[in-house]
Formats: sequence, structure tokens, C-alpha cells
Amino acid sequence: MTPGRDDARRSADRWRDRQTLERRLHDGPAQRLSALALRLGVLRADAPGRNGDDAWHRGLDVFQSELESALQELREVAGALYPPLLDEAGLGPALRELVTATGAVARVDVADVRCGTAAEGAAYFAVAACLAAADPVATDLATDVATDAATDAATPGGPEIGIRVRVENDDLVLTLTGVDPDRRRSVLDEAAPLGGGAELTGPAEITARFPCA
Amino acid sequence: MRVAVAEDGALFRQGLVLLLEAAGHEVVACEAGGDPLVARLSTIPADVALLDIRMPPEPDGGLVTAERLRAAHPDMGLLFLSHYAESHYLMRILEIGTDRIGYRLKEKVGSVEVLSDTLTRIADGEIVIEPELAKRLVERPRSEKRDLVASLSERERDVLKLMAEGRSNNGIASTLFVSAKAVEKHVANIFDKLGLHADTSAHHRRVQAVLTYLRSQRGDT
Repeated sequence: MTPGRDDARRSADRWRDRQTLERRLHDGPAQRLSALALRLGVLRADAPGRNGDDAWHRGLDVFQSELESALQELREVAGALYPPLLDEAGLGPALRELVTATGAVARVDVADVRCGTAAEGAAYFAVAACLAAADPVATDLATDVATDAATDAATPGGPEIGIRVRVENDDLVLTLTGVDPDRRRSVLDEAAPLGGGAELTGPAEITARFPCA
Repeated sequence: MRVAVAEDGALFRQGLVLLLEAAGHEVVACEAGGDPLVARLSTIPADVALLDIRMPPEPDGGLVTAERLRAAHPDMGLLFLSHYAESHYLMRILEIGTDRIGYRLKEKVGSVEVLSDTLTRIADGEIVIEPELAKRLVERPRSEKRDLVASLSERERDVLKLMAEGRSNNGIASTLFVSAKAVEKHVANIFDKLGLHADTSAHHRRVQAVLTYLRSQRGDT
């Protein structure tokens, strides 16, 4: 069942809201906390007679490290809302960054065209769901014997994940190869609300369509 | 040191000026965007310019500004400060230059010592990369052999070290008293041994090779 035009429009609006929230985190709390980290540095440099006061300096260290943790957590929340790189540089750079960050063995082939906040956001998170499913954590838990098999599988020419994006007839078309066919459901969950779809087009190939705004 | 600042966030900009002054540096220009900074620096000399990436001219004004500053003042150091450490931006930064350049997270330069050390290294000609980012970038898929740098010959390691210092092939050739052709051959061998295949650009592979080396120097596995 495909959603009506109004549903698709509301879904697209929600993607734009998510992107706005990311921007607010960046311009608001993230900036305040980064500025505080600098003010803390000034305080540390300006502390007359505090040079021998270890407890005071340890307190400042804790302060600095908590600020860094808070900023890191803000970055993670912001990335889960809408990756800033996706907005600034598009799907290609954002997906390459995602592949690097997850350590996935994947080939990214993305046409250099923009197709709107909603379609790009939905396609990005569809890929993220598939890469998370292929997370090498599973390999970490395997025995040494299994590791050798995994090594062979990951060599060039082996079943790496292929991520291909094209724009056809006002749709963003995402083709994933070398993925678990069960992930079609996760891809569909992202595509369907925008009026798109996801189909199995091969034994380990999912092709999804995301209407551009 | 004479430093210039361009940052659109007023709070962070103020904090940066205070910390730079506490560290004994002279802030010769402080602007809310790239274009006014370029205008100011056409008449005022500076040793290093500190640039936000996400600032006017949108979307990534820091990069455009850096290109213009590098063209107008090749000796001026450039330090990018950002809320995010992304390999995409590192690659673009290293396309602007591979010497006198740095990329760090905003909250990681929050002490006089770290800030001054970062600025000094850049003014001395180095590349300074946020360690976490360098680490993430060179983390190869688990199938790749570890200790790739150890597989290089002594001469190849010399070449890689000079690449990491931002030298061109010609610069490396004159330092090692060998021909440019010989250096090219070493560089090709380095790419090959580090598993940097020809499907990426030569520049990208050069950066990857340098990062692999930097990481091995830091003692990471």
C-alpha cells in the first residue's frame, strides 16, 4: 500500500525538521560548550598562585573532559537526526564517511546530483541500516578459524557491499548489492513513507526508489 | 605569533580571542565570515589564519576562504577548527595544501599549550590533523595485513617520511640526492605495499600513505 500525496509531503517535512534540529544543535548547545572549553583554557592559564594546587587542576581536567564527552554525545545525536555532511556535501561524501566510520568493506558509486533533504536523508539511513546489519562486530566474536574465512571473503573480488545511487525520472534510485535480502524491509521502511519502494532485484540485491522533492 | 580569526559563532569567536591572547598571541584580525577576513588580510600580515569550516560564504566558507588566502599569501598557515572531524573535509583541506595546514576539533584546542603547539607546528610547515580522525581514516578493513609500514624498505620509509612532511616529489628528490624518476618509483612502490590501488586519485593515495605513516609513528596498531 502506498501512502497518499499528503502523507508523503508530511514525511518529507519531517526530514526537513530533523535537519533543522541538527542545525540548532550545532549553532546552539554545541557552540556554547565549545566556547566554554576555550574559556576553561583561559581560566587555567590565568590562575595566579594555583600552579601548585593539584586538586584545582584535577577539577579543571574533569571539567574539560566532561565538556568533550558532552560534545561527542551531541555529535552522535546530531548524526542520528541528520548527518551534517549530507546537507553540506551530498549523498556521495556522506556515504563514504559512513563506510569509513563503520569499517565496512563497501564500494560507493554515487552520481553527483542533489535530490532534496527527504530523499537523501531516507536513502542515507536505508544504507546505514544495511551496513549496521553487516557490522563486523559479528566477525569479532567469531573464532580464529572463522576469521580466516572472513579474510578471504573480504579480499577484492569477494562479496563486498556495493552502494550505487542514480537519479532517474525524478526518483533517487539506490541499488545495494552483496547485502542480506532480509534488509529489504529496513530499506522499505525508509522509502515507503515518501511514496517510494524497495524490491529484491537479485539474490543479494535490493533496488529502492525515493521520490525527489 | 600574529593570528587572524574567522568564525561566525560569536561565543566561540570571543572565547578563541581570549584564549589566543592568554597564550600571548596577537590577534590581528577577527571577523564573522571568510570574505571580510580575506579583505582585512590584504593589508595586515598574519602568521596563521584560524578558520571555521561551516561559515559564510555558505555552506563551507572556510574552504573557499582558505583557497583564497593560500593563493594570496602562500606562507600563511591555515588552521581549520570545526565541530565535526570528517575525512571528506580533510581530503578537501589537503587539496588546498599539504604544508602549513591543520584541521582540529573546536573543543580540542581548549588549552594554551595545545593551541600554541598546534599553531607553532603549522607555522613550522607541518600538517596537524585531529588524531582521532587520522586514526579513523587509516583503519583498513580487517582483512588487510597489519604493520604495512614495516613492509617498506628503508629508502621507501625515508620517502614516505618526507611525504608526510608535506614535500613534493621534486623536494624529496633534492633532499635524498636522487632523481625525480627514482622518487616516483619509490612512491609507486609505497602505494602498492600499503594497498592503495589505482582506483583512487594520486593525491588521495598520497594523503592515505601519509596518514598510514603518521599513525604508525603514533604507535597505533
